[in-house]
Amino acid sequence: MNPAKTYGHLFSPQGGDLADNYRAPGQITFLRSEHVPLKAEALRKAGVRFAFIGVPFDEGNIGKPGSEEGPREFRLASQEYFPYWFEYQVDLNGTAVDCGDVQMPKVNPGLARERIYQAVRAALAAGVTPIVCGGDRSISISVARALSDHLGETKRIGYLHFGAQLDLADSWAGERNLSTCALARITELPNVKPEHVAHVGARNSLNPKDWIDLARERGLRYFPMFEILERGVDTVAAEAIERVWNGTDAQHLSFNFNVMDASAAPGVTAAEPGGLEAREMIRIADLLGRQGKVSVIEVSELCPIFDVSGTTSRLAVCIVLRIMAAMAKARGETVDPSLRRARPS
Amino acid sequence: MGTRLSNTWEIVPHQHKGPAQHGDPDDHIRSPRLHNGAFKARGLATFMGAPYCPADRRAIRKVGAKVCFLGVPWDQGQVVRAGTSSGPAGIREASTQYFSYMFEYDVDLLTFFRVVDCGDVPIVPGNNDRSHQYIYDYVTECLAGGAKVLLCGGDHSVPIPSARALSDFHKKRKIGYIHIDCHLDSAPDWGGIINTNCSGPSRALDLPNCSAANIAHMGSRNGLNPKDWVDFFVDNEVRLLPMREVVERGVEACTREIFDRAWNGTGAVYVSWDTDSLDASCMPGTTAPECFGIKAREAIQIARIAGTYGADILEISELCPMFDVSQMSIKLACCMLYHYLGSRAQTLRAQAET
Repeated sequence: MNPAKTYGHLFSPQGGDLADNYRAPGQITFLRSEHVPLKAEALRKAGVRFAFIGVPFDEGNIGKPGSEEGPREFRLASQEYFPYWFEYQVDLNGTAVDCGDVQMPKVNPGLARERIYQAVRAALAAGVTPIVCGGDRSISISVARALSDHLGETKRIGYLHFGAQLDLADSWAGERNLSTCALARITELPNVKPEHVAHVGARNSLNPKDWIDLARERGLRYFPMFEILERGVDTVAAEAIERVWNGTDAQHLSFNFNVMDASAAPGVTAAEPGGLEAREMIRIADLLGRQGKVSVIEVSELCPIFDVSGTTSRLAVCIVLRIMAAMAKARGETVDPSLRRARPS
Repeated sequence: MGTRLSNTWEIVPHQHKGPAQHGDPDDHIRSPRLHNGAFKARGLATFMGAPYCPADRRAIRKVGAKVCFLGVPWDQGQVVRAGTSSGPAGIREASTQYFSYMFEYDVDLLTFFRVVDCGDVPIVPGNNDRSHQYIYDYVTECLAGGAKVLLCGGDHSVPIPSARALSDFHKKRKIGYIHIDCHLDSAPDWGGIINTNCSGPSRALDLPNCSAANIAHMGSRNGLNPKDWVDFFVDNEVRLLPMREVVERGVEACTREIFDRAWNGTGAVYVSWDTDSLDASCMPGTTAPECFGIKAREAIQIARIAGTYGADILEISELCPMFDVSQMSIKLACCMLYHYLGSRAQTLRAQAET
């Protein structure tokens, strides 16, 4: 026995903050960015705008499992892109760090939710915008709570929810924090007013009657796919943006990628026909980014085991990077147009 | 719709039964209270979690079913690749991921139509004629029971016996026939065999009460349409809307045209919808996936418009779950039926109110 070596890794996890989950991934980082621990001080020192936080949490789903592989695949897909975006003339290199995954305790959803909450609060406290990648849709609840508590009751949050489902179950089988309850819980937060909430992409019949009733009761505006097809993506996006950005202090963008048509995003937990096409979502991402600011970007329900040729993860990465790029351009952070590749000596 | 549903009919899906039973008659259209409900609990998988009812006219009349789901696990009328005999199982599986309530139409399909699942038609391996006879008999029972039929194939030879059943059932009236497909399927015969999956419209025109003026085709494209198939449409003056025209004029106008034709002066309509009419990107799980097809949202639009017209038999064929990706094909096929029913319910409700 080597006395200088520790052997804790030989045994079942004992709990605590570190390494509860033996499947925690190594250091493939979001957009090849630097890894920075999720501590307010370290984040402040890094001087970046975005902090990527993986949340491999799959215990709030009611249907197909598999979204805990989401963050890993999202990071891998991000390796496929340059930080330079020609459409916007911006360089995203150095604008983000990767804070790794929130450690998941497994079979303890209460503790997992608390850790997600604390992780998002730490990033917000450091003044950076968290890019939270789930994980199932229930993580939206913890993320929104963190933003809500960070801001305090006097501030207003705009909340934009993309998905094929309204997620407005007051409870599901007696549980109140499942993915199907996300919008129900978030619209109960003191600083989320119905006029600042928009839901985009509802369709088909995993939207039971009590969800529609609750939407009416709370005065929530949802733009179902039928309306988007009739009125056009630009019109609906403009109305949703108006609700979320106008008169609010912070904005939470929450993407369940089953908002996409199943053909554009097969790698999600509930691939659903009749949704948005890739080019439409790219247009929406552009319009969102033009607002120039956002407080939280959150992605959920990526399910790589059902993906085909990595297209879904790549689309998700593309949407997030495009929002970042459009935002950088809106802030005037473009690269010097006279820059040229160095000639070989 | 009232807040309470009629409890005169057995609507509790079997997955809800037992010691943890959801007791209220409208529990199945709301988020479950005790457990995950019928959602994801396949149990004895029926379409929409609907009760099983044998394909027997007296039994169907007794439960008052207005819609029967009937599977046809038959894939030996097939000239391309096999696998569509799992189609009915695929659609039932997909339906476990949906509620029978549809917010787009504010209707509970299960109670509105008193949907029943009549199981599968038994088939005889290697014998098209005997299998077709069973299909004919089972469809006839559903029609005689006073129900409309959702027929799920099975290969696209299924409409041959089932349209014949509809024709015989309405022998004193004319019937219309709609064929939505990537292929024209108008072979007079294929290697001398007349009842294959490439002769649906040919056999429809053979029916005594189905005339060319009431037959219409939509969606054909690409190079599995030999010349004699096109000649059939031209020579018999049957309306043919190829995919090129659907793209140019839009799905809505084309769908209305085929339904207007089929319903013009007829008393019943048969709709035969091949899953390969859809684009391969949203329907990989079909026997002959083809590019340049109908997109998922357009298919749902077709189903909605179809619901405003109605059909006596709506048949979905060539669904092939073994080639599916992330269940997108079976879910789309299921959505086509659900949106058809939702729109149909909305239409009937509006008619009843006026």
